[in-house]
Amino acid sequence: MSTKGTRYPIKDQVAIVGIGSTGFSRRGDRSSQAMALDASVAAIRDAGLTRDDIDGIVATGEPGAVGAHQLASGLGIAELTHHSKPAPVVMFSILDAMHAVFSGLCENVLVCSSMLRLPWSSQSAANDPFRRHLRSGVTAMPETVANAPAYAAWAGRYLHEHGVSREAFARVAVNCRTNAFDNPLAAMRSPMTFGDYHAARMIREPLCMLDMDLPVDGADAFVLTTAERARTLAHPPVLIHVATSGLVGPNDEDQLGSLAQHGQHVVVKSLKARSDIWLDDVDVYLPYDGFTIITVGWIENTGWCPPGEAGRFLAEHWVGDGDAGRVLINGRIPMNPHGGSLSEGGTRGTGHVREAVVQLRGDAGVRQVPGARTALITSGGFFFNSQGAILRRA
Amino acid sequence: MAGGAAGAAGAAGAAGAGGAGGLSDGELVERFSHVTVDRDTAAFYRGWLHHELLLNYCDDCGHWAHPPRPMCPACWSTKVTARPVSGRGTVHLLMLLHQGPAAPDVDYLAGPYPVVTVELDEQVGLRFTSTVTGCPAAEIAIGMPVELHWIDRHGAPFPVFRPIPEPGVTPS
Repeated sequence: MSTKGTRYPIKDQVAIVGIGSTGFSRRGDRSSQAMALDASVAAIRDAGLTRDDIDGIVATGEPGAVGAHQLASGLGIAELTHHSKPAPVVMFSILDAMHAVFSGLCENVLVCSSMLRLPWSSQSAANDPFRRHLRSGVTAMPETVANAPAYAAWAGRYLHEHGVSREAFARVAVNCRTNAFDNPLAAMRSPMTFGDYHAARMIREPLCMLDMDLPVDGADAFVLTTAERARTLAHPPVLIHVATSGLVGPNDEDQLGSLAQHGQHVVVKSLKARSDIWLDDVDVYLPYDGFTIITVGWIENTGWCPPGEAGRFLAEHWVGDGDAGRVLINGRIPMNPHGGSLSEGGTRGTGHVREAVVQLRGDAGVRQVPGARTALITSGGFFFNSQGAILRRA
Repeated sequence: MAGGAAGAAGAAGAAGAGGAGGLSDGELVERFSHVTVDRDTAAFYRGWLHHELLLNYCDDCGHWAHPPRPMCPACWSTKVTARPVSGRGTVHLLMLLHQGPAAPDVDYLAGPYPVVTVELDEQVGLRFTSTVTGCPAAEIAIGMPVELHWIDRHGAPFPVFRPIPEPGVTPS
């Protein structure tokens, strides 16, 4: 396994120079294509570029989302030297785009991810005749822990092994909702208390409705280019210091070795081996939160606290009254200040990357971390999409 | 090694041609239309028809692996055979579905439906996921010893688990 980091020439060589977002909603009647085009145009304009500058497109392969070739046609782009449709969770797309830029295959790559509420995960989507053509393709039977149910099954194992309550899950959920209040792009901006969390309907016990991210409509787009070119553009360059994915074998949801050795651990080893920066220098922390147990895993596996102690850690670094509030690590570092997938909406991690860029530019308004220079993003879950990145302001 | 692969495929094909179970490959796929039966999983599902849980076993190094894959991940041997397991093990993962996919005899309104991943006695980390019957959901716990049991699902046998009765206790 290449985690020694003796050879990592891409470090700080690629920058995120454009961002565009439609914002996210649990309603919405726009097509995936309309939202993707909207976010893409916004990101290209935000970078101060034109469509003639874009020579690569990476479009995440979400169900119902448009492909890179459709985006090229829709944006009226004449020629591309790279296009692809990586699996979901954002960092696969960021990695592909940065590698295309660094190799010299492309100068400016557009990354786009559009999310659509799907008929099998949203009643309002099931009622939309224009979504009837979408099919899940997953064989539905109760007796499986494949895909999303895996997180409930391993959440139960977590509670069992450590003999702890759901407190850590509750704090992850409440933190996100408190933060989403300050994010105009967020789908859920109404307050949530610990009482609300504990009263929420169980779905896959021990996880309840408020442990799961929100099906939403919306799109995020990014433009990546060389660090050199970034210095000539409008915004302060946000450099990708390091980005990685991580996988172990076996990784089938029910055959995973244990909670002590999975994709997240590989990601953390890889980041530490390649980065000049670690937790002491982080200003903003953006752990994935498709399910609360994923965030709990990241907090512990990244090394903010020992295994099993996320509940205690979050309580110690909690700001606010007894019934709500949010996390501020060491009184300084917010966690998912945009509200995360739990409350901004289930963006599969694009929201975390966007928030990192906004914070490092100094454009986060009331959410701004003063003088933020370094953001740590740990995205994806335990099995097939564990990923991470450290972004820094040049 | 190519010969080994052909041998394994040939053995599965022979069973498909009218061995145990007596169904052609086409009939097998039809019978289990609610799951994905392909060349790698055919022997596994064929076992269900005669109440056998067959997991892939490496004839060269003795390593078990699930879900079925055509090569041993431990030693790269292709002499992999679907072989019965004892069906005994302990509950490793447990969740209670308060809602979920529809299935015959699963009524979420009657109470949460348990889904368990059982670590089988054959090998550390070798696990199989199903449900537990014959026991109230609230009494199922991680670490509980269970054994294989068969119920009917869509007109075909379906492997589940049930608690192993403690010695001296009459099963209810």
